Amino acid sequence: MIVLNSSDGATFEVEESVAVQSQTIKHMIEDNCADTSIPLPNVNGVTLARVLEYIKKHAEAKDDEEGLKSFDAEFVKVDQASLFEIILAANYLDIKGLLDLTCQTVADQIKDLTVEEVRAIFNIMNDFTPEEEAKLRNDHAWAFE
Amino acid sequence: MLLFLISCFSVILVSKSFFRPFGTWKRDMRMQASPWFLGEVSRFLISWSARSKAARGFLHFLTSSLKKNGNGKAENVMVEGLEGEEYTLLDLPDLALECILERLSPFQLCSMAAVCRSLSERCSSDHLWEKHMKQKWGRLVGNAAYQQWQCYIASRNRAKLQESKRGKGLLGYFSIFSDKMWNNRSRENEIVTEQRNSLPVDSVKAWYLAIETGKLRFPAQVYNRENGQVGFMLSCYDAELSYDSSTDTFIARYSAPGRRPTIEDNIEWNRIRAPAVDVPAHVLHVSDCLHDLKPGDHIEVQWRRNRDFPYGWWYGVVGHLESCTGQESHCQCHLNDSVVLEFKQYAPSSRWRQTIVNRRDHREVGNGADGFYGGIRKLCNENEISTWKSLWPTSTLE
Repeated sequence: MIVLNSSDGATFEVEESVAVQSQTIKHMIEDNCADTSIPLPNVNGVTLARVLEYIKKHAEAKDDEEGLKSFDAEFVKVDQASLFEIILAANYLDIKGLLDLTCQTVADQIKDLTVEEVRAIFNIMNDFTPEEEAKLRNDHAWAFE
Repeated sequence: MLLFLISCFSVILVSKSFFRPFGTWKRDMRMQASPWFLGEVSRFLISWSARSKAARGFLHFLTSSLKKNGNGKAENVMVEGLEGEEYTLLDLPDLALECILERLSPFQLCSMAAVCRSLSERCSSDHLWEKHMKQKWGRLVGNAAYQQWQCYIASRNRAKLQESKRGKGLLGYFSIFSDKMWNNRSRENEIVTEQRNSLPVDSVKAWYLAIETGKLRFPAQVYNRENGQVGFMLSCYDAELSYDSSTDTFIARYSAPGRRPTIEDNIEWNRIRAPAVDVPAHVLHVSDCLHDLKPGDHIEVQWRRNRDFPYGWWYGVVGHLESCTGQESHCQCHLNDSVVLEFKQYAPSSRWRQTIVNRRDHREVGNGADGFYGGIRKLCNENEISTWKSLWPTSTLE
């Protein structure tokens, strides 16, 4: 069993065979940095719990494609802030499947949005001058009339 | 629900002393109103906005009024999530952001490029667009098309230069000179900004969009041109193609000597291919497979009516010599200097049914009546052969 410590002091126990889905943890184990526990200063307790839920499910139900698909679909039904936390954690822990899943979720959200909606939902400020913006929209309209 | 939120907002505005701040509010823009109540409302709305369209609209109203109240500096507003962490899309690590952008369609990439400067740069990167280019146009766009694109860029650059010169005249030249002397830095900044925000003319994105919108014609070949007109059955002709995105089909222009090009539209994807060899339509292809040809081989041969016309590529099969029984075990045709090219789409009595070439020195043979047979290429790719077979005419030709 591997012990993981989140940034806010929570501890989690997980089997090594499950934990190595994270390449970061796998390398730490291989480099013998994991004698007592592995500190994960970049991931908080709530997010780490969610990530562990994901990798546990994917370890135990590896061959059940249908089951994993529906699990994944439910897994990403979280608020924006939590989704971003999971993306950051998946990136830090280097879990490809989780990163692909969460990024695909964000891409799917973006697919149906207008430019203004993207700015509002993802907290992005418009830093174009009105002339620049007009020109860009022209390019865009020209591209897809 | 919206009315409720708006009245909430105004109640909070008026009676702020009754509320305790939850968590801290970090911002880079100075605000006229108190920070904490906006933080409270924003946090609530952001988790709401993922689900409710009405809340999204209100949030948009909120962020645009923040913009108006701020001191005009363009920076991203950072909002705290429930765990006390900040998040904006742009704060995601490069790998994650790339991961998201890779999954967007060309349409969405163009849309995202209009969101902010940083995204504009990312969404125009060659790396992202090369993938789309390969996926959609990879099969059709070869060396010749790339050369065409380079010419297109060069001519656009020339046109831009001429336009800027034309508009100014002598006074213009003087003003450019004085700009350089006195306003070097500000001019440079202008140019840099302009370059940064307009689409680089030679980017892969520009190439993709030029083809997608039909503005750029590219060279390719069309099977059974002119909607399977009988005179062109089982041939493939060079044409300038442009794409029509509304119908997902192509328009072809076939050049003809001494007259306007013939135009055909509504051509489906399955009738188009990139030019098979890097040889323009008027140029003879030098055959490199002659010594190899034996009965049963699939070939394409260049054919043209006379030296004024461009070549088309015609599908045929190497046949047995008349003297041969056709039995594989006894066949010596591959050792003979003469190679029989058969075009079985024609009736046996048709003059187009077959022709004979000399494998030693064949370059081009023919006459005014039967036309001229030029370079030969042997088909080894199963896909090419099955494409020809799928276009076989329903009845034998004369």
